[in-house]
Amino acid sequence: MKKMCLFLLVLAMSVSMVFAAGASEAQKGETAAKTLRWAYWGGEARIARSADAVKLFEAATPGVKVNMEPSGGAGDHFVKVDTQVAAGAGPDIVQMGGNFKDYIPGGPKGHLALDLMPYVQSGIIDISVIDPGAIAYATVDGALYGLSTGANMPALVYNKSLIERVGAPLPPVSSTYEEFRTYLIALQAKLPAGVYAMQDIGLMASNSTPFGYWTGYNGTPLYVASENATKVTVEAAKKYLDLFSDYRALGVIPPADVAASYAETNADSSMLVAGKAAIGFLWTNQLGGYQAAMTDEIDLIEFPGAAQRNALWQTQSQLYTINKDSPNKELAAKFINFLVNSPDAARVLGTDRGNSVSSTARAAGAASPTDQKALAYMAVAGPHTSPEGDHVPNDTELNSTLYLIYQKVAFGRISTQQGAQEIVDLLNRLIAK
Amino acid sequence: MSNANYRKRKLKDNLSSYAFLLPWLVGFFALTVYPMIYSLYLSFTQYSITAPPIWVGLQNYRVMFFGTERIPRDERFLNSLAVTFRFVFISVPLKLAFALLVAMIMNRKLRLIGLYRAVYYIPTLLGGSVAIAVLWRRLFAGDGIINIILRGIGWANPPSWISNPDYALSTLIILAVWQFGSPMIIFLAGLQNIPKEYYEASSIDGAGRVRQFFSITLPGLSPIILFNFIMQMTSGFQAFTQAFIISGGNGGPLDSTMFYSLYLYLKGWGFSEMGYASAMAWVLLVIIASLTAIAFKVSGGLVSYGSGE
Amino acid sequence: MNRKARSIMSKLLTNIVIIVIGFAMLYPVLWLFSASFKVPNTIFGDAGLIPKAFTWDNYAKGWKGIGIYSFGTFFKNSFVISLLCVAANALFCSLTAYAFARLDFVGKKVWFAVMLVTMMLPDHVTTIPRYVLFNTFGWINTFLPFVVPRILATDAFFIFLLVQFIRGLPRELDESAVMDGCNKLTVYWRILMPLTVPALITTVLFTFLWTWDDFFNQLLYLTRPELFTVPLGLRLFLDSSGISSWGSLFAMSVLSLIPCFVLFLSLQKYFVRGIATTGIKG
Repeated sequence: MKKMCLFLLVLAMSVSMVFAAGASEAQKGETAAKTLRWAYWGGEARIARSADAVKLFEAATPGVKVNMEPSGGAGDHFVKVDTQVAAGAGPDIVQMGGNFKDYIPGGPKGHLALDLMPYVQSGIIDISVIDPGAIAYATVDGALYGLSTGANMPALVYNKSLIERVGAPLPPVSSTYEEFRTYLIALQAKLPAGVYAMQDIGLMASNSTPFGYWTGYNGTPLYVASENATKVTVEAAKKYLDLFSDYRALGVIPPADVAASYAETNADSSMLVAGKAAIGFLWTNQLGGYQAAMTDEIDLIEFPGAAQRNALWQTQSQLYTINKDSPNKELAAKFINFLVNSPDAARVLGTDRGNSVSSTARAAGAASPTDQKALAYMAVAGPHTSPEGDHVPNDTELNSTLYLIYQKVAFGRISTQQGAQEIVDLLNRLIAK
Repeated sequence: MSNANYRKRKLKDNLSSYAFLLPWLVGFFALTVYPMIYSLYLSFTQYSITAPPIWVGLQNYRVMFFGTERIPRDERFLNSLAVTFRFVFISVPLKLAFALLVAMIMNRKLRLIGLYRAVYYIPTLLGGSVAIAVLWRRLFAGDGIINIILRGIGWANPPSWISNPDYALSTLIILAVWQFGSPMIIFLAGLQNIPKEYYEASSIDGAGRVRQFFSITLPGLSPIILFNFIMQMTSGFQAFTQAFIISGGNGGPLDSTMFYSLYLYLKGWGFSEMGYASAMAWVLLVIIASLTAIAFKVSGGLVSYGSGE
Repeated sequence: MNRKARSIMSKLLTNIVIIVIGFAMLYPVLWLFSASFKVPNTIFGDAGLIPKAFTWDNYAKGWKGIGIYSFGTFFKNSFVISLLCVAANALFCSLTAYAFARLDFVGKKVWFAVMLVTMMLPDHVTTIPRYVLFNTFGWINTFLPFVVPRILATDAFFIFLLVQFIRGLPRELDESAVMDGCNKLTVYWRILMPLTVPALITTVLFTFLWTWDDFFNQLLYLTRPELFTVPLGLRLFLDSSGISSWGSLFAMSVLSLIPCFVLFLSLQKYFVRGIATTGIKG
């Protein structure tokens, strides 16, 4: 009996030690001088930059600590954040992309993003120095849901050194679809075997952007929020699929299985960086990262048809939003104001998350030649833009299923007519969800 | 001892026995039964995590197999079932065959047997890791090492294994079969338990190697074969990490490596349909349970449990 | 050729066959090992096993991790979780196994059958609800979601293994111990456990391996980088908006495999004995 008691005592002690170990982890977060949790996504380079920005803020604001919670990619990030929020333990500052509308009152994911207007009015957040476009982007019904991390535009990127090496002319910055097609054929003729004029832009995991561009250009936008409907018709979708089937038949884009071997999620799963494609798709804020991975020089041109119909758009790369249930809202507001408006922060963050939209920070943030290229592109392409189209709800599922449909067409399993029908059905289903 | 005393003693006995069982009992109810019931409930709802669950009855199950008026049948779900079945019923027999073959080769008094066992087990040790998955993807890419070797021995234009919908699954099957170390070690132990006298006696009677294999080895190993088969099949159905890393999380190309677990993860955490994901989990449970029951039934006639227990 | 010579030849042949197949099996791992010493942008061009451009850099750079949190932190976290789980499993699975194998109580057969069934339960059925439960307790970002289930003996596989093993030990041992005045606990602790060492070591080994590699649960429950484990740290190298660091990834992968490998090498003779005498045969 005595031994049993001893045993139970040991048991109880070891169990409580484990619990204590766990609890102290949690406690450290609460009782330490004010702590902010900042969730974002990105790789080594971005994490290092963000850490530098954090250090600057902590130095300037004694008694405050910022804990970063980075994820490898946007997909992971939202999975984690959603789960944490559902369990009542969301981070204070949440990075969001174009999908922020999923998190405003009435959105499909439930209300998460806090309205920042009260902090603007009390002067903690200074929006007078921020581009009006960036503010308008994040404003819905008079409420400001996030601060832009930087402006961004979709673009085509080309490998300047490679094209010069094979003696082909450089691509025109602005062109029509006919001119572009002619150019691709001419370029392909000069390229060695195994290298293609352009990557298969439809066959990327995040393909809703190029598709969104096309539908905008075609006058049949993906989604009109006010009508809660898509304007894409089967004919429009078919034209898009036919466009790429044509390219594939001409040999200016790789066949499906070659294209599928490049995940195109970052610089080293990129056909362009691997030197197998001369032209690819990029967002302006990715230029720096991709250039750093290549010895060849790269530069940007517009999508074909952009100048004709002002089909491009300028968007905000990402948004800093505040969790509406955060215990440290004011402090969080101070932090994001620092990230966006402070020249010191801009200097360490660079254009990794887009070109700064704050006039106070912009110069400090765009120092390198690559940054200058992005700015130059935006200067040219800027006038060829219209306001950004609305995002289809359930973005993740759109990308995933669109990718599948496109693959089915690219691998020749279904016809472009069937593919087009499936795309329209998909859009309608997602909107109805 | 009087009746009352006996019963008191029996009670005390029972209670102290239950004390040993207590941790498991608590774990069973709190961490197994309760979650199962809750997930069963969730399978009848639409649950996006950030909003409370909405009851939809059998809708999730209907969409999976039949489709409803509003929602077409989930072809990707059926595809994931097909892919997973293909994966399990090709990789598991192959894995067991290799494991048995190598175990038989190694079943001798070899000096370096310890080292050999360790070497063959290494793939299993590493198998679940992210690094191996990344490596595998690179090995089997269009311009990857495997193709460089194949071109070297004369195959002019080998396909791009990883990104070709007809072959991508095979690379995953190879990865699974590569990790046969675990069942191999179990077979080795089993082989060493078959009395040598059986072999000696039968060779005196003139039985050749092949005959010995079918009449002595296989029956002697049959309980272990069954055990290995069930364990491998169960874990095969739940395979996730390799498919996740190698396909980059999208189950491509053409969903040819969209394992059931991967699709479940995508539906639950990617598309925020936790109710649907829970329904998928239950369907998986039913499938595994049925197959296991069938395996036991079929093996009833085939498995011999040796003399005594 | 006489019998002895034939036997030597056959043994030699066997060894050769095993070595050749073994080499083919190990090729990917060897490639991984050699890649960890190659200069990063030559890794995928160089198909050979001997690095054409050799460097130690990958290890130094990889160890630094993502700048603020080095792999030292990740390794520490992985070790802590794995060792805690090992201790919990060894103690509580064996306690439960003892009850099933040796003690008599009402409902024993039913509970045993139930436990066997839980062995074959797919994890997914309990994942989501367990997450919600653990979160209600505030256990996210602690090691509790990993350790507590082990304390509550939810790894039925090891219970089964230990039960089979204990069943193989003669009951006379228990009986004579009881006659010498031992109670249930002492029989368990003093008599049976020392004899169950092979099965216990098997439990230790596999608990360690499976916990070390448990990517999915670590992904769900550990969201603060200072708590990341090695698999999560490795995945950080595979980001999706910048440049992956292949050299560092491979170097750290090699390091992450070493504890498992060493553990296996040192314990394997016990573990084979454990499996063999566990009576899985029947």
